[in-house]
Amino acid sequence: MLEMNPAPVLVEDMIALTQRLYHEARLLDAERFEDWLELLCDDVTYRMDLKRRRFRADRSPPAAVGAGVVFNENIARLKLRIDRLRSGYVWAEDPPNFVRRVISNVEIEPADAENEVIVHSVIVIHRNRIDGLARQFTAGRTDRWRHGTQGWCLAARDIALDHAVLPDSNINVFF
Amino acid sequence: MRIERMGREPEFSQYMDLKEGWLDRRIFSDAEIYEEELYRIFARSWLFVAHESQLPKAGDFLTTHMGEDGVIVARQPDGSIKVFLNSCPHRGNKVCFADAGNTRRFVCNYHGWAFDTGGELKGMHEEYCYDEIDIDRKKNGLKQVARVAGYKGLVFATFAEDGPSLDAWLGDFRWYLDMLLDNEDGGTELIGGCIKSVINANWKFGVENFIGDAYHAGWTHDSGCRSMNNGEPFPPVDMENSYHASVNGHGWEFGTEGVGDLFLLGRPKVMEYYERIRPKMAQRLGEMRSQIFGSVASASIFPNVSFLPGISTFRQWQPKGPMEFELKTWVIVNKSMPDDIKDEITKGVMQTFGPGGTFEMDDGENWSNCTTVNRGVVTRHERLHYRCGISRQIEHDTLPGIVYRGQYNDANQRGFYQRWLDMMEADKLDAMPERPEPRLTGVSETRDVPGLFAL
Repeated sequence: MLEMNPAPVLVEDMIALTQRLYHEARLLDAERFEDWLELLCDDVTYRMDLKRRRFRADRSPPAAVGAGVVFNENIARLKLRIDRLRSGYVWAEDPPNFVRRVISNVEIEPADAENEVIVHSVIVIHRNRIDGLARQFTAGRTDRWRHGTQGWCLAARDIALDHAVLPDSNINVFF
Repeated sequence: MRIERMGREPEFSQYMDLKEGWLDRRIFSDAEIYEEELYRIFARSWLFVAHESQLPKAGDFLTTHMGEDGVIVARQPDGSIKVFLNSCPHRGNKVCFADAGNTRRFVCNYHGWAFDTGGELKGMHEEYCYDEIDIDRKKNGLKQVARVAGYKGLVFATFAEDGPSLDAWLGDFRWYLDMLLDNEDGGTELIGGCIKSVINANWKFGVENFIGDAYHAGWTHDSGCRSMNNGEPFPPVDMENSYHASVNGHGWEFGTEGVGDLFLLGRPKVMEYYERIRPKMAQRLGEMRSQIFGSVASASIFPNVSFLPGISTFRQWQPKGPMEFELKTWVIVNKSMPDDIKDEITKGVMQTFGPGGTFEMDDGENWSNCTTVNRGVVTRHERLHYRCGISRQIEHDTLPGIVYRGQYNDANQRGFYQRWLDMMEADKLDAMPERPEPRLTGVSETRDVPGLFAL
């Protein structure tokens, strides 16, 4: 149903958060991972769940127990990924890939906590790999951003990847 | 059924000399050889199609591929499992587009032909348009595979009516498989769903990497290891107490130090868990296998299933042309494990050997470039070196199979390509040689029998 009266969001917040998303994308494109980490809350959760193609009418629980995830990370795990990328031994990224993120469809709504908001967005990631071929990932994101003394920081990110089969050999990229 | 391509009798032995230790690169890139593989290997091998835990109740199904043939695997009301082509006998359309689920019917989108979960034709849209002599429903069901069989939870199917039983196909490799499938009461299950990714590489590069290529880990995965291990690289392997074992093209490479793969999973709780059950595992499987389990190890089942015992990733390399495969990965755990251990293992696998994992993401580029360089006509005629450890074969009292000493070795890879050649050249599967002659004779013997495999 169309939400005729969405809860109001301050114009300043809208601008500040949209700018944050763009800024975040530019930091990651430029491999400024440590600067990106500064935008994350210490208790950040970063998740990508696995999706399966099932019939609409199929209401049975998934046949296999346990929910699958591609990413289920906290700040320590994200740092570990960045340490690995910085190790100098990541042959699959040397020479570096060309990576460009496009962020769109930004929509903000109030969250339960007073100093937090929910931010919906769409991300398209273009990757030109060392083999010269380009691949593209498309995903929806539902974030929770928290306002503190440092401005807005990311408290949670749920990534809904729109691919039944990953169109690449790895997904070594931050969404 | 016997399915063959017409009119070509190629000499596949020209593509390798395994006594010398080389392979011709065209087996990784040539479109005609790939077509022959689909006929001679994938249409005749026992292929993994499901784990029983994926289909717990009647009407549960999943879709997968046997070679490039799409199939539906479905649990029947009587508890058996049927496997049939995912293609309508009317115009050939796929009848099921879902990955998995529970259903009573598969209905073709094109003309509404409806099949039950056993694949039998049960009805059609506007049935009155068919006269009685037009159609025999019994003969127009979904095409069944020739045989379905299981080994300790794994379900296999084959299109070949002739050839060995599944037990004979796996042969003495069952002794090794039990370390994965039977190390605790209750057996195993696949959890966490299936991740699919596409890699522009020949399917055999994935299989041979897991069947014996411990050698790549220290270099390819250096960054992954250092990030998990406080900046330290992989320790050197103990070449004296580590092995390659090959049985009918299946292979398991392993150390006997007991902890390497468990460590790489990066989950201390899981390590503690296995240390707790290790004495029981020794009672169940014998001292030797309880020491092998958890060591740096990797394995493949011929032709296209691989896993890391201890790290618990389980995967299948589905061929999609000479230069592409689809990788499907699952997490395999013991059913009897507590939920928090299963959860720890799932997290560990995704973080190490999922497509977003710190180890997995180094591999794809290598396999891809090993394959696509062969677009070059000069390049593809160059031989590849498979001679590592060629003189290190040993006889071992405890370890069945063709055994080589030293984990850094090409022995299991040579065993895999020997089986590949045997199948590519065999007109009759029954005539294929056993490599080696089996020690075990029945399922019951795959667990240690006192006296028979005493250390």
